[in-house]
Amino acid sequence: MRRRRELALLGFTLPALGWFLVFTVGPLVSLFYYSMTAWRGLIAPRTFVGGDNFRRLAEDPVFHHAIRNSLLQLVITLPIVIVGAFMIAYYLSLRPRGHRIVRAVLFTPVLLSAPALGMVFLGVFAPSGLVNGFLDGLGRSAQARPWLAEGTTAGIAILVVIVWSSMSVSAAMLASRMNAVPDELFEAAELDGCGHWRQLWQIAWPICREFVGVVTMLQFLWTLFSSAAVVLLLTRGGPGTSTVNLSFLVYDYAFNQSKVGYSQAIAVLLFGVGVLGLLGIRRLFRADF
Amino acid sequence: MSRAMRGAGPLRLVAHLGVWVYVLLLLVPLYYLAISSVKSNTAILDSPFNPFRGLQFDNFARAWEGGSLGRGLINQAYITVAANILTLALAVPAAFALARTRGRVGRIIERIFALGFLVPGFAALVPTVLLAIRLDLFHTREFLILLLPASALPLSVVLLTQAMRTVPAELEESAIIDGAGPLRVLVSVYAPLTLPTLTVVLILNFLSFWNEYFFALVIAGPDPAVRTAQVALPLLSMANAAQYGVLAAGIVITLVPVYLVYVLFADKMEGAVFSGALKG
Repeated sequence: MRRRRELALLGFTLPALGWFLVFTVGPLVSLFYYSMTAWRGLIAPRTFVGGDNFRRLAEDPVFHHAIRNSLLQLVITLPIVIVGAFMIAYYLSLRPRGHRIVRAVLFTPVLLSAPALGMVFLGVFAPSGLVNGFLDGLGRSAQARPWLAEGTTAGIAILVVIVWSSMSVSAAMLASRMNAVPDELFEAAELDGCGHWRQLWQIAWPICREFVGVVTMLQFLWTLFSSAAVVLLLTRGGPGTSTVNLSFLVYDYAFNQSKVGYSQAIAVLLFGVGVLGLLGIRRLFRADF
Repeated sequence: MSRAMRGAGPLRLVAHLGVWVYVLLLLVPLYYLAISSVKSNTAILDSPFNPFRGLQFDNFARAWEGGSLGRGLINQAYITVAANILTLALAVPAAFALARTRGRVGRIIERIFALGFLVPGFAALVPTVLLAIRLDLFHTREFLILLLPASALPLSVVLLTQAMRTVPAELEESAIIDGAGPLRVLVSVYAPLTLPTLTVVLILNFLSFWNEYFFALVIAGPDPAVRTAQVALPLLSMANAAQYGVLAAGIVITLVPVYLVYVLFADKMEGAVFSGALKG
C-alpha cells in the first residue's frame, strides 16, 4: 500500500524528468556523435568521420589561440573575483555606514542581459567613448586609443568586462552566507586580539569554505561559457583572431563559418574542461577538518 | 554591535576606500549609459560626463522604430511569461512528489535535478538547434518556450522541494481524511504555504528568461516578426554605428521592465540570488 502510494507520487516527477531528458540530456549526448561528423551546414548532410575533427584541432592555430585565451580568462579573473568578492562580503558583514547602498549597487550588474552588458561596454571602450573621454578630461589624450581594435587592449577589455559583471554577484551571495555566521565566533577572536585581516582569513574563510567553493563553480562556468557573448558583442574575436575563446569559437565555427561538425569537437572539449574544472574546484574547496 | 568598523587604522581606510571606489566603478558605466541616452551625438563626444549638455529625447523614438523594439519586447514578454508558466507546471508537481517520498528512487531523482543545475546548456547550442529543426519549430518563439524551462527546472525543483518539506504532515493528513486526492492536497495545502519560495522561483526564472541571448539568437533568429528585444539590441548598434545615443536609448528601453521588477521585489530578489547559489 505504502509502496504503491510512493510510486503514484513519483509519477508526478515524470513530466519534469522527461523535459529534462529531451531538452537537456538529449542534445548533450548527441553532441558527442556530431563531433565525429563532417558537416558543413545545419541543413547539409553529415558523414561520419571518427576522430578526424579532433586531429584537425591539434593543428588549428585559431583553436590554440582560443585555448590560451580561455585559460588566461579563467586564471586571471577567477582569483580576482573570488578573493575580491569575499573581502567585500566581509566588509558588508561589519555593517559599516552606507552598507545598504553598497548592497543595492552590487545587484545592478545582475540585471543586465548579455547584449545590454556588451553594448554598455561598447560605449565605454569606443574610440570616442567613456575611457577616452575621461583621458581627454585629464589632459592625457596621448594615451587614448581604440581599445577594442588592438589585440592586447581588446583582451584586457574583455577581462575587465568579465570582472565588472560578475564580482558583484559573487560578493552579494557571499555576503548573505556570511550573515549566517554567528557573531560570537568573531567576538571571541576579537577578545583574543585578532584584527579584521586575521578574522577575515582565519575565521570567516574556513567557515564559508564550502560555500566559497559553490560560488567559485558558478563563476567558473560563467567565465568559461557565458563569456562567448562578451567576445561576440565586443570584438567578434578580433582584431584578427586575437580575442577568440573556446565558447565563442563553438558559436562562430557553427553559425558563421559552416564548420558545424568541427565546431562540435570544440564543444566536446569545452564540456570536458567544464566537468574537469568543476571536479577540481570541488576538491580544492572540500572541507578538510 | 561589537563587530563594527571602529577606529581609523590605515587598513580600515584602505577597505572603505576600496569598496567605495569599486561601487563608483560599477556605477560610472551605467551613469554614462543613462546620460548618453538623452544627449545628441555631438554632446556625447564633446562633453561625455555632463548630463545637461545637448539634451535631446528623440533617441528613444529612433531606437524604438529603428530596432522595432516594441515588437521585440512583446515577443520577449510572450516567451518569458509562457516559459515561466510552463516551468511552474512542470516543477511544482515534481517538487511536491519529491518532498513527500522517503524512498531511494526519490532521492536519486532529486540528485539528478541537483546535478542538472551545473549542466552548461551552452555546450549543446548546435544540437538544440537541430532539435528545433527536427520538431519543425526552427525560427519560432514557441521552441524557446519549450526549451527555456528545461534549463530552469533543476534549480526550481530543488528550491521548491526544500520549501515543501517544511509543510507539516498533519495538515496533509487532515486534508486526506477529508477525502482530498493528491492534486487537491497540492493545490489547497502546499501551494499557499510555499508561496514565498514560488515567488523566488518566478523572479529567478523571469530574470534568466528575459535576459536570454544566445538561444534566442540562434533559434528565434533575427527576423523582426519573432526576434526578441535582446536580439534586436546589437543589430541597432550596427545600423547606427556612430550614434551611441540611439543605442543607449535602446538599452535603457530593454532595461526598464527588469528594473521595475527589481524595485518591486528588491528584498525577495536578494534572497533569490542567494538561494540560487546555496542550493547548487
